[in-house]
Amino acid sequence: MPAVEAPRSAPTSDAAGAARVAAPVPGMLASEDWWSVWLGLGVFLLSIGVLVGVDLLGWAAKSQVWLSPASSVIPVSPAYASVPSVVSILATYVFLLVATSIGAKFLGAAVARFAASFTVVYWVSYGCWVSGHFAYIAATPDKLGALGIGWSMNLTGEAGFVLALVAGLLVGNVFPRGAAWLAVAARPEWYIKTAIVIMGAALGVKAAEATGLAGAVVFRGLCAIVEAYLIYWALVYYIARRYFGFSREWAAPLAAGVSICGVSAAIAVGAAIRARPAVPIMVSSLVVIFAVVELLLLPFVAQTFLYREPMVAGAWMGLAVKTDGAAVASGAMVDALIRAKALAVQGVEYKEGWMLMAATTTKMFIDVFIGVWALVLAIVWCTRIDRRPGERIGFASVWDRFPKFVLGYVTTFVVLLAICVWRPDLRAAGGLASEEGTSFRVLLFAMTFFTIGLASNFKKLREEGIVRLAAVYVVSLFGFIIWIGLFISWIFFRGITPPIVGG
Amino acid sequence: MPDKPDLSRELSRMEAEPLLDIEKKLVAGSLILGVLLLVILGWLASWIGRGV
Repeated sequence: MPAVEAPRSAPTSDAAGAARVAAPVPGMLASEDWWSVWLGLGVFLLSIGVLVGVDLLGWAAKSQVWLSPASSVIPVSPAYASVPSVVSILATYVFLLVATSIGAKFLGAAVARFAASFTVVYWVSYGCWVSGHFAYIAATPDKLGALGIGWSMNLTGEAGFVLALVAGLLVGNVFPRGAAWLAVAARPEWYIKTAIVIMGAALGVKAAEATGLAGAVVFRGLCAIVEAYLIYWALVYYIARRYFGFSREWAAPLAAGVSICGVSAAIAVGAAIRARPAVPIMVSSLVVIFAVVELLLLPFVAQTFLYREPMVAGAWMGLAVKTDGAAVASGAMVDALIRAKALAVQGVEYKEGWMLMAATTTKMFIDVFIGVWALVLAIVWCTRIDRRPGERIGFASVWDRFPKFVLGYVTTFVVLLAICVWRPDLRAAGGLASEEGTSFRVLLFAMTFFTIGLASNFKKLREEGIVRLAAVYVVSLFGFIIWIGLFISWIFFRGITPPIVGG
Repeated sequence: MPDKPDLSRELSRMEAEPLLDIEKKLVAGSLILGVLLLVILGWLASWIGRGV
């Protein structure tokens, strides 16, 4: 191993977050990545109280399809059925406000300022989430009769995510001062990573029901690493260098942003090759914009053409959409849209969450290797392209870039999977625990959608020179990344369907 | 740190750097290894079965 200095440490959270007030506390309390672990594990630990008969989170608000606003929200646990909905709604808000404010304090934000912005982000997101459950928007065909309505848009309650995204886009692009005021609480990467940690528990319960399919999903995730790093990155880097005339400093982070994982990868690779910090940040702003475009298009494309191949669709989202937030969000949308269409067209009711699992697992396997790839490029750059005497590369840089929220996800997934496999009598309680976590997870998802929209400033596309970056992005993403990802997802998942409800 | 208007102008007027041999080797090696691994993993997936 050549003696080369460790690459400048790159944040694993989004660029905007990295530019905020410097965290006063070092180590495991100083990053959004770690705080997603603590918050997610906190919700998980409280939720699994039901396994020993102690229901600590049953008061959390759960949205359901509604015609009358009074019936839109109920407490998630039957044990708390007597709790008024408004109490449930307020308690859920206070819980998340306190939890995130504690994290924000350690992350260096002014707590009062954060709390004020978070309150707006929360209630706008929550309003969109509940609105998306309006019966004429969300109801699936099997529910129309019970609701007494003759039609609906059949979008399921996840339409609330799209509403939140549109709301964020409106605020971000039409009211920039409002967006700037909300910036301190606009932390889509933190929210989605916390949601993913919580989601691990729900996926663990599902995996216990179909361990073989879960194994296939994990295997597909491993293949995604090969695609993203060895094929996509190499192709995009070559295209950017050879045909668009980018320098190495621009081409490497751009290739990482387009092919691997958007913001985190662009910043990590930029640091590895010692690019100027502003270079990957400019790339990152483009990544977010294109992720929003993909989020608005691909789930509906998947619903139209892939409702007979649901697992292909789920894995495709994890490969094609290039930020954690948008990829997992796309997975959630695909899960809901395809389940609705399969029910309407084929009369088949798939169990919820499997397509989401495919998308999330695929994306997370890609995330895990960001640090490894950054180390590989650092070695290549420092030894063959940009040699500097006396520099040292250490494996500590790999750990530095490892996405810590994956640890939380694996923990919640494995713990609940193990409990449900070894104690089948606890599966029902495990299901309730995951439902209670899901009450918070969907709100974090809604806030992710809203804040992704806030951060997407389409005016950036008009900046001089950005068109050249965007051209590489369009050619690569829509020219081959999306289609290779679809093809390989097809090879691994064609003919595989999620378990069926009641099957 | 260069501000964004400077970087934007830099982007629009960037002069090309010729590809170094190491860059070509990195790209070619990644693609060859990637395709080989995908073939192997695809074969493994069909051999193990799809696990449903």
